[in-house]
Amino acid sequence: MSFWLLLGAALAVAAVVVVALPFLHEPAPQSDALDELDAPERQRLEAEEERDRALAALKELEADHRAGRISDDDYRAVVGVIRRDAAEALRALDRLRGAAREGTGRGTAKSG
Amino acid sequence: MAELGRAALIVTLGLALYALVAGGAAATLGRRRLALSARNALVAAFFSTVVATAVLVAGFVRNDFSLAYVADHSSRELPLPYKISAFWGGQEGSLLLWLLVLTGYSALAIWIAGKRARDLVVWVTPVLGAIAVGFTWLLVAVSSPFDTIPAPADGSGLNPSLQNPYMVAHPVFLYLGYVGLAVPFAFAMGALLSGRTDERWIVATRRWTIVAWTALGIGQLLGAHWAYQEVGWGGYYAWDPVENAALMPWLAATAFLHSVMIQEKRGMLRVWNVTLVSLAFCLSLFGTFLTRSGVVSSIHSFTQSGIGPWFLAFIVMAVVFSVTMIWLRLPQLRTSARLESLVSREATFLYNNLLLVALCLTILWGTAWPILSEAVRGEAVVVGRPYYDFFLRIFGLPLLLLMGIGPLVAWRRASLRGLGRVFMWPAAIALATGVLLILLGSGSSIPGLVAYTFSAFVLATIGMEFARGTAARRALTGEGIPTAFGRLVGRNRRRYGGYVVHASIVLLAIGVAGSSAYDSVVEGRLARGDSLAVGGYTLTYRGLTEREGANATEVRAVLDVRRGGDSLGTVQAGKNAYSVEQQVSNEVGIRSDLLTGEDLFVIAEQVNDDGTVFFRVFVKPLVNLIWLAGLVFVLGSLITLWPDAREERRLATRYARQGEPADGTATT
Amino acid sequence: MIALSVAAVLAVFLVYTSLAGNGTPSVSPSELATKTGEVALAGRVVGTPTGDPHGAGMRFLLRDIQGADKQHVTVLYKGSVPDLFRTGRDVVVTGTQHPDGTFVTTPGSMITKCPSKYQAAKS
Repeated sequence: MSFWLLLGAALAVAAVVVVALPFLHEPAPQSDALDELDAPERQRLEAEEERDRALAALKELEADHRAGRISDDDYRAVVGVIRRDAAEALRALDRLRGAAREGTGRGTAKSG
Repeated sequence: MAELGRAALIVTLGLALYALVAGGAAATLGRRRLALSARNALVAAFFSTVVATAVLVAGFVRNDFSLAYVADHSSRELPLPYKISAFWGGQEGSLLLWLLVLTGYSALAIWIAGKRARDLVVWVTPVLGAIAVGFTWLLVAVSSPFDTIPAPADGSGLNPSLQNPYMVAHPVFLYLGYVGLAVPFAFAMGALLSGRTDERWIVATRRWTIVAWTALGIGQLLGAHWAYQEVGWGGYYAWDPVENAALMPWLAATAFLHSVMIQEKRGMLRVWNVTLVSLAFCLSLFGTFLTRSGVVSSIHSFTQSGIGPWFLAFIVMAVVFSVTMIWLRLPQLRTSARLESLVSREATFLYNNLLLVALCLTILWGTAWPILSEAVRGEAVVVGRPYYDFFLRIFGLPLLLLMGIGPLVAWRRASLRGLGRVFMWPAAIALATGVLLILLGSGSSIPGLVAYTFSAFVLATIGMEFARGTAARRALTGEGIPTAFGRLVGRNRRRYGGYVVHASIVLLAIGVAGSSAYDSVVEGRLARGDSLAVGGYTLTYRGLTEREGANATEVRAVLDVRRGGDSLGTVQAGKNAYSVEQQVSNEVGIRSDLLTGEDLFVIAEQVNDDGTVFFRVFVKPLVNLIWLAGLVFVLGSLITLWPDAREERRLATRYARQGEPADGTATT
Repeated sequence: MIALSVAAVLAVFLVYTSLAGNGTPSVSPSELATKTGEVALAGRVVGTPTGDPHGAGMRFLLRDIQGADKQHVTVLYKGSVPDLFRTGRDVVVTGTQHPDGTFVTTPGSMITKCPSKYQAAKS
């Protein structure tokens, strides 16, 4: 076998090692499950995104109004809607946080 | 050495296959170690591709002509930079470059997103792996760069038209763009596969999309500049299928860039966005297919190579997969958010999208029509310029106008009266510009005049936005003008970076309009001492010079240039005769006027035996704005890309707790 | 609403291209006799070109790119000649065939194809 072919073989061996690494690392892990989000986590994430979206929209509306891009009438028409959305999102987030705190007390079971 | 290269590619194929199969299994079964193993495989695939690349580069640098690919595209006297760029001068090498960028991007994307979108990454790995499998398979089984032959004394050399700095950079940027679109596509598919149809995949890939889009745009400008200087017919874009191949995904990506903003702000258009990113990626595959398989006859590619059918299969698979996934997840993608008003920023973005996609599909139809008509009607057809020009005007001019309108319309609902007040000044400026231009003679071309007037409108709106924003900031904080301006842009990088990018597109539009609608051309045979007059210039032919360059004999006709009695120096145009490659290339003479941006473009079409030369001379107004637009484009993109520390922190805290069990024990 | 707009736009230019008869038919030298009107003639240059493309016109012969070398068509071309033009290259010229058999081109309509950038079978 030529020198280059040997190098190629070495490369293949290295590749196999790299791929097997996660299995060689830990003797026997407690849980092989993926870091998946369970339903409450996902809901919390979505609620946070809603909240961020509403707050950002409010901030942009204010900036637009201050800079004169939006007239007073337009501003008044829309600001109520956005403020309502933001309040709703914050309320939903509080609800979820409360539920999560109660859930911790009971202990959430993560499937293995 | 070829054996190492071949072995490295086989290793890459194995790793990519593993990433696909094991990654898919890990995601479906929820196995963490298997998922990590698949990710490692994809990252390792990058390194083995680097090894293969290094082997080929070494082959070029060492003049190893036992490698058939090196012998076909290089020669001993080729200057070193071109020896390296010859790497991507042919089919096999450019496929390897595609793979290198793909595996590199994949490794980077997985590393970065691994922290923020762990549940997405587990699905992204097999998708990226699948794409890598496709290209590696081509390189291993169909079109290998490591085929060996008995080494000839010298190679065939690089096509002279590729021996140009722009042609060195053009394919690299194009590939950074084409392949870059694979990342948002993979994340979109990952989101669909995992059932997470929220905005996270968009937030995770926003910068990737912008980088890919910018690279694709720069790649096209480089190509256009090359065509202008090297191919030298007097233009920069010929609606050649290979040129269109890069424009189509860029247009789709532009639409995508805008519509994701709607999804981020209002949670709307989810189905549209996944469709658009799939379209952009499939178009970039199609673009690579067009350039490689020669299925559509064009200036660049017509070789009937074996990879055509494979590529077509690849594209079909990608299309079928995307459509299936979108179809399956349709219920989850649908949202209740509705368009509240036809006069709102959402609506303007929607109009922008429709126009962009319409233009993209028009070009797709025009490019594919010759193939289709041959298959259906039995006769091949060539689609000419008028078709493209017509639709470019119909869709492009309204798009130009929308660039000025969109940023100033409010979200959700805007009143026409409010809009009227905001647009009063820009409209007045545009109208005044239009009248002035008519008086200056621009009325000779209606589309050109419209383009100029719309451009004035957009530039006025952008200028006023910067002014208004700075003034509002100063009213709040009392800062000086430069500080307020700097902080304004710094705090709103996406918005104001976007404005700079819009300004660059306007410059592009002005440059294109000026050089195509208002150019002049004359031609004639000149003997020594004769003159030609065009566009205010007078050129007098003085004589011929000949010299031996590095790998070519260079013949130049020298002309004196005068304008209005002033001497503007000389310009040279002629031909290079390349000894090894046995080819002649046209070398045009360009004199750029930095003040007006216009070019005097001289082609020495034919050097006759009796010492006379047939010249063709263009005057192209404002053409240099096109290249300037490229620089402004990059600047604007950099501003939008620049990381915002506050935003990063906010996103980090939001996603940091993702994946941790509620009792707080952290898993690695 | 989006779907409808996209469909409408698509319909517009589908109709435009199909009806407006956009596009010039592309033919090979052996098919030329069967076609009338303006066509895009695609063929390979054989023999030596003569004449001045910027004067009375350059004459050269074209044969089919693929298939048997049955028919040579004489082309009379005026206008810019691309760098890559030479014997053995594949070119496309647009024009009409005159009664005497000569294919007279629209000035400046020649396109050539880059051979050595992408190679299929080793020539």
